Amino acid sequence: MDLALAPEDLKFRDEVRAFLKTAITPDMRRDQALTTGFASEPEVALPFHQALIRKGWSVHSWPKEFGGTGWSAVQAYIFENECARAGAPVYNGAGQRMVGPVIMHFGNDAQKKKYLPRIISGDDHWCQGYSEPGSGSDLASLKTRAVSDGDHYIVNGQKIWTTFAHKSNRMFALVRTSTEGKRQEGISFLLLDMDLPGITVRPIHGNGGDHEFNEIFFDNVRVPKEGRVGEENKGWEVAKYLLEFERGGALQAGRVRAQFAKLASVVAKRCADDVDVTRRLAELGTDLDAMEMIDITTLSALQAGANPGPVSSLLKLRWSQLRQDISELAVDALGTDALRFVAERPLFETLQLPPEEEEALSATPRYLNFRAYTILGGTSEIQTGILARALLGL
Amino acid sequence: MNLQYEPSQTILRETAERFLADRYGYRTFRETSERAGGFSPAMWAEFAKLGWLALPFSEDDGGLGGGAVDVAILMEAFGRALVVEPYIPTVVLGGGLIASLGDKAQRTEFLPAIGEGKLKLAFAQGDGVAATRRGNDWTLAGSIKAVSGAGIADTLLVAAAMPSGGTGVFALPRNAKGLSIRSYGIVDGATAADVELVDAAAPASTLLGGNEKAQDAVGAALDRAIAAACADAVGAIAVMVTSTVEYAKTRVQFGQPIAKFQVLAHRMVDMKVREEEARASALLATLSLDGASAQRQRAVSGAKAKIGRNGRFVAQNAIQTHGAIGTTQELALGAYAKRIMAFEMQFGSTREHLRRYGALIADPALASAGLLLEPAGA
Repeated sequence: MDLALAPEDLKFRDEVRAFLKTAITPDMRRDQALTTGFASEPEVALPFHQALIRKGWSVHSWPKEFGGTGWSAVQAYIFENECARAGAPVYNGAGQRMVGPVIMHFGNDAQKKKYLPRIISGDDHWCQGYSEPGSGSDLASLKTRAVSDGDHYIVNGQKIWTTFAHKSNRMFALVRTSTEGKRQEGISFLLLDMDLPGITVRPIHGNGGDHEFNEIFFDNVRVPKEGRVGEENKGWEVAKYLLEFERGGALQAGRVRAQFAKLASVVAKRCADDVDVTRRLAELGTDLDAMEMIDITTLSALQAGANPGPVSSLLKLRWSQLRQDISELAVDALGTDALRFVAERPLFETLQLPPEEEEALSATPRYLNFRAYTILGGTSEIQTGILARALLGL
Repeated sequence: MNLQYEPSQTILRETAERFLADRYGYRTFRETSERAGGFSPAMWAEFAKLGWLALPFSEDDGGLGGGAVDVAILMEAFGRALVVEPYIPTVVLGGGLIASLGDKAQRTEFLPAIGEGKLKLAFAQGDGVAATRRGNDWTLAGSIKAVSGAGIADTLLVAAAMPSGGTGVFALPRNAKGLSIRSYGIVDGATAADVELVDAAAPASTLLGGNEKAQDAVGAALDRAIAAACADAVGAIAVMVTSTVEYAKTRVQFGQPIAKFQVLAHRMVDMKVREEEARASALLATLSLDGASAQRQRAVSGAKAKIGRNGRFVAQNAIQTHGAIGTTQELALGAYAKRIMAFEMQFGSTREHLRRYGALIADPALASAGLLLEPAGA
């Protein structure tokens, strides 16, 4: 048992570093540093994504047959860590990390052929149509109806909290195709185009000032049935598979460590003698180390073909909390400098200030936006309930 | 990177857990701690027979050549079983210092005797303990509080400031002239002692390896002991979580098992998550022991502080969930809670380790560094 990087891992890390050095421009790095939401604006993320495509790394976690890299778990971990350290843009992962694996697993050949290449190339941007105004944590109560009409469904209803819907051309959605029997058994998983007649997108602005969430209205939208993934009324199984990717499939350690390192540098510059702040920072560092170790242990188990257990809910629960804790201490460390608020977005276009002032201005929006981390993708209370059953048999 | 246990390590875990489940436990713990002064010679002889007392020593020194992971496996089992005998002071810390600093004669004198169960050690280090030259020999002066296991040790290892500015470690028999040891029971049922050195005679042959610059080796040996103590604490935490969940599933109030109440179910998940974090932190410390010193210290101090915090949370909530019975010695639970208290106060407190960790991560390179270890010189 060991934590050592093998010589070939070090070589790989150097290759990643060399790539990132040219792929990430100073502008890109600044734009990303001033991003206060969950993902970069597409205009920031796309040029980086294209560099990844040229390198053959755009969907590194996918199986090789679908265009992935065939990297080992350690290589994937190194790659994610190095990207985060270098300040690479965060690409909205709904296509690559969520619907992509679903199509690979449940999709038919036509769907694989139609959708996967355009995820790899960055031509398609996906959003996730799950939550509804009356169906948040209790997702299976969703009411958006899809009524069969020949080779189409006619969709009516409403989705909400749809991240980046306004910048997406496709959506994967859960729709109700039956009201009989158990409510989970009347749901289908549907791929649809966002430019279909009858779809309206209304922006929802977060407390932090960013526009990432949206509300979507479906008014007699005709969706071709060839967009259904899996059998009719079997969409809940597909959704559950996807949730595993949403909650735990991504390696988060690198991103959170980058967030932590940024906070550590702010503390070092501004309040290195404040023992309350430095003590809290050290506590968060130990929290982060523990979680990164759990991440790596999970990786190692997967690599050895072992079952890591019901760890995805634990990862979601703790990583979301940790991101919030770091963003909270950042505001505390800044003191009154965190008071000033700039409402216009994106900040990288609005601001023309010395780097330290810009940094200070991004802390409060980030703190406010990050309150959503413990709510989206299954609230902390839902994750805790899952863990009570899975870990404790309660 | 590989985090899968070797088959031999799984066997060690199963052997240790089975033996201790049969032969140790709350009753043995109470007898040993309350009536036998924290040490059972018969049990210690069994540990020797199982090879545990020679586990980390190299085969050249008559040991089994076990690594830090093997020690951690054994320590977690000790934590689960409330083993109170001085394994860390004698084998991990004392034996570790002799193995890393001792010359051939000293290693031959001490290590096989430790492995056979014939020699118990303790390690005393404190501010103001100084060595003065007297001819070819030394005298030691100073006082050290709360030295784990010193009251029952046959030989005391004492770290002292050398006139040259470095640190030396002396191996003094407990009856050495000028050495006095005042032993007392401590909260977890083990013993500690206050040590007083008044011009204690230390012949040249007692200075380990003749080494007057042993400070780095002492730091490394202490970190090794802390990593072992972390694994022990994880064992104690795991038992508290499991027994709380079992209790809540069987304790009926308002016509149903109290585990059905969401507020308690969620609290127990919080405890379980703290256990998983503690286990990960302990493993990180164990696997970082051979890394560069900054990485080693960061992992060890981080784990000590994190497991201290998490252990306290688990102990308090385990007692609360058990209700009144949890506050008494009727159950083993309190012994585990006290074990965590002693863990927090030994080898540097939670607060002190948090400070050391904080000072290390003030270096941006370390704050942003992941956990995988680079080979030396990379």
